[in-house]
Amino acid sequence: MTANPNSSDDGIIGRPLPRKEDDPLLRGLGVFTDDIPEPPGTLHAVFVMSTRAHARIVGVNVADAAQAEGVVAVYTGKDFLGRIRPVTSDIPQPGYQPVNRTVLAIDRVRFVGEAVAVVIAENRYLAEDAAELVGVDYEELPSVITVDQATRSDAPKLHDETSSNVLFHASYKTENAEGVFVSADHIVRDTFQSHRLAVLALESRGCLAVYQRRNDSLTLWTSTQIPHIVRTAIANLLDWDETRLRVVAPDVGGGFGCKASVYPEELITSFLARELDAPVKWICDRREDLMTTTQGREYRFDVALAFRSDGTLLGAKARIDCNIGAYPTYPLGASVEAGGAAIYLPGSYRMPEYAYETRAITTTTCPSCVYRGVGAPVAAWATEVLMDRAARDLGLDPAEIRRKNVLVPSNLPYTNAVGMRYGSGSFDTCLERALAAADYAGFRQAQTADRLRDGKLHGIGIANVIEHTGQGTLRYRQRGIVYVPGFDGAQVKVEPNGRAIAWVSQCTQGQGHLTAFAQIVAHELGIGFDDVTVVEGDTAFGTYGTGTFASRGAVIAGGATLRASNRVADKIRRIAGHVLKVNARDIKLADGRAYVSGVSEASISIREVAAIAHSMHVHALPEGDSFGLEATEYYDPAVAPTSNATHVAQVSIDPGTGLVTVVKYVVAHDCGRVINPLIVEGQIHGGVVQGISSVLSEAMRYDETGQPITVSLLDYLVGTAADAPDITVLHEESWSTDTAGGGFKGVGEGGVIGALPAIANAVADALAPFGAKINRLPLLPHSIVALMENSAPAGGEAKAPAR
Amino acid sequence: MPQRHKIELTVNGKKLQRHVEPRLLLCDFLRYELRLTGTHVGCAHGVCGACTVLFNGSTARSCLTFAVQADGAVIETVESLAARGPLSPIQRAFYEHHALQCGFCTPGFLMSTRELLTHHPDPSEETVRMALRGHICRCTGYVNIVRAVRAAARKLREEGLGRDSEP
Repeated sequence: MTANPNSSDDGIIGRPLPRKEDDPLLRGLGVFTDDIPEPPGTLHAVFVMSTRAHARIVGVNVADAAQAEGVVAVYTGKDFLGRIRPVTSDIPQPGYQPVNRTVLAIDRVRFVGEAVAVVIAENRYLAEDAAELVGVDYEELPSVITVDQATRSDAPKLHDETSSNVLFHASYKTENAEGVFVSADHIVRDTFQSHRLAVLALESRGCLAVYQRRNDSLTLWTSTQIPHIVRTAIANLLDWDETRLRVVAPDVGGGFGCKASVYPEELITSFLARELDAPVKWICDRREDLMTTTQGREYRFDVALAFRSDGTLLGAKARIDCNIGAYPTYPLGASVEAGGAAIYLPGSYRMPEYAYETRAITTTTCPSCVYRGVGAPVAAWATEVLMDRAARDLGLDPAEIRRKNVLVPSNLPYTNAVGMRYGSGSFDTCLERALAAADYAGFRQAQTADRLRDGKLHGIGIANVIEHTGQGTLRYRQRGIVYVPGFDGAQVKVEPNGRAIAWVSQCTQGQGHLTAFAQIVAHELGIGFDDVTVVEGDTAFGTYGTGTFASRGAVIAGGATLRASNRVADKIRRIAGHVLKVNARDIKLADGRAYVSGVSEASISIREVAAIAHSMHVHALPEGDSFGLEATEYYDPAVAPTSNATHVAQVSIDPGTGLVTVVKYVVAHDCGRVINPLIVEGQIHGGVVQGISSVLSEAMRYDETGQPITVSLLDYLVGTAADAPDITVLHEESWSTDTAGGGFKGVGEGGVIGALPAIANAVADALAPFGAKINRLPLLPHSIVALMENSAPAGGEAKAPAR
Repeated sequence: MPQRHKIELTVNGKKLQRHVEPRLLLCDFLRYELRLTGTHVGCAHGVCGACTVLFNGSTARSCLTFAVQADGAVIETVESLAARGPLSPIQRAFYEHHALQCGFCTPGFLMSTRELLTHHPDPSEETVRMALRGHICRCTGYVNIVRAVRAAARKLREEGLGRDSEP
């Protein structure tokens, strides 16, 4: 454990407490959106989706559907004109071409699945029947599926309001970025193509809009990561008094980024609940989810790394194109994937020089937005694969070239080539610990040139990665993302009976906020974990906030909770000091009591303090203090804390079938001060396995006309327990130097970021005898076989093992 | 209006009689007619396993089963595992091992685990992984689920319980 000036935790923060969330979920008492009891008279919405990737809408015939059994109404895009404003993704600024999207397509469809009409009926079955009866006449337009097709000079332009299909572009270089490539001894370069992924939260999207006519108010229950932003969008786009809108994210069955956008369905159900004066419900089915929910991570990275002959990394150059699909989404806009990928590339190495150009390109495919890790897993994949190639070219072991370049304590604080500051970290320690735990040296010693053992090819891969976490207001402004606030808030309140409640402005989708933030409150107030309740995801309580994505929960909501708790603790100490006739500074809070330091018999219970604060006690409040025992605080970290990790993966490959099995997986990880190690490990496990699945089985595919052809889970293959390895996680704890927030760093995405490069490098190592270069994902069995058959054998020595 | 069919079945120990449309799915019957919303629908095409229930003692996808097919059947859902009392040993093991995150897939995993441990009181890691491969969990990476299932098996063996709980 890294020595820590802030002293070790001996309280509730840091304990592996089982979660408060679990009991109802285990009993089947969770309340996900579709589980909310439907109010009487609830109507059900089903959307008619475009069957064409790119077409002019000639006509929409809803007559038959409108007559169908149980149908209340059918609407097309024209019906909402002037009533629901189009969603604008970005503000006009250099490098951006903002795009407007109407909630239903009116004249033109731009991806298969884009909603053209909506049927409202008495129940879901009848609404689906009627949706089949809506006839849409299309006049086909040429579709553009890839970034190359979309950027050709004769490419059809998707959006009238733009001058090209490049919706965002940016470039940057450090002073000598070109120079190091002239003076370098060795340059490695390749073009890396990552594939489109469905994000696939197991609970698909859905919402229930309940209107109250008596005061023109609305409650929208929706499966979202950003309830406050959804509420603001409804207010702005539907011209509705924001104070009369309440958005609630109930139990949410996973997010991973795909619920961090405001969707047309949320706006339409809200609008129609008022229009029809009836509750309106919509639940996305899996096919619709695979066609319409934001996807991610389709990049082309052209990357070059410059080295000295001794293996010292001098700099990097990258050209990045990101396929963002038919529309940028609100609030993250067009730049979030392309811009994020570029600034993510300088990782855990000393890399003084860097130049990039990056573009976001619109195509006639489902909109793409943030998916766990955004561009970081792909950036890490490209750089770590090139690291291994440079090592091979320069005669170094992959571990050795990393030791040579990884950041060491004397480099810290380190400002990287794009100006991001790493205040603390354990880059070299994590590397050494992960290598030791994976027995890297032993594996290498036993490894033969042909990589064969027991009829299988065996390889090992290393990845050093960082994770940008807790990005605040400044980061989003720097990135040109204006509709994402960046801060979050917490209101902590001790009730007269001494129990505390915290309203936190984020919402949890499985990350354990209700447990972790309760640990923070209990720790700071000196009360029991069981005496704290955390409530999230409801705009009716607490402060405005940004939401849960981009590994910002622990840092920003955790920081806000800590700061609000500290202010409440201060007031407890003032009241206790007043009663015990000592200075508030001499009061310590623990075990539900306020003690005079060093005088254990002089104490008062926090319950009594709470009673005093609520004027239900013989003692009065100290002069100057007002009633109640609560505080509201926001948090906006001055510097986004950087987590770091080393992943080591061991794989075996069946040379006959190309099937890759992950044999062993080790992560040495540092996310600063750990609030709950159980939850942290869970985040890493889940991220790693999502990463493995995205490399070895998942692929969202479109045919040449733009038809998505993986729209069921029979075609879009998600890894199961039989495909996943056990995972060893080792912790380091380099507290964030931004101690105003408690020293926490984020942990939501690091698992995925490390898994892509670790698996890819392990596969490349196993295929080394074939000289296979891995520069495309996914690595499906047939692509592994092709790599064995079509690569130029290294040194001409190895040949394919007998099948 | 399509003709409704009378069905008689036992759900979580209670005998019921209902009239249902022939196309009503068992999952929708359980969720919307009986308000047993612990059974979740993750794909509606039989892959993700979230909707798994016990049908005459064996696991079944309630999203691929019509309610009329359950006529005469004994159905057990996640709500049966620990109605009001303490968590069952399997549920407890999931709690202690942090084997759930968002919790959406969990009811299905619990039902399959219950079936597995009925037949295999001491399953190897490999057996657990193979038995649960009909379920998708997007959050946990399965690591803690596998650990929880094996811990639950140990607990059940120690306590001499053949089964997680009796309906």
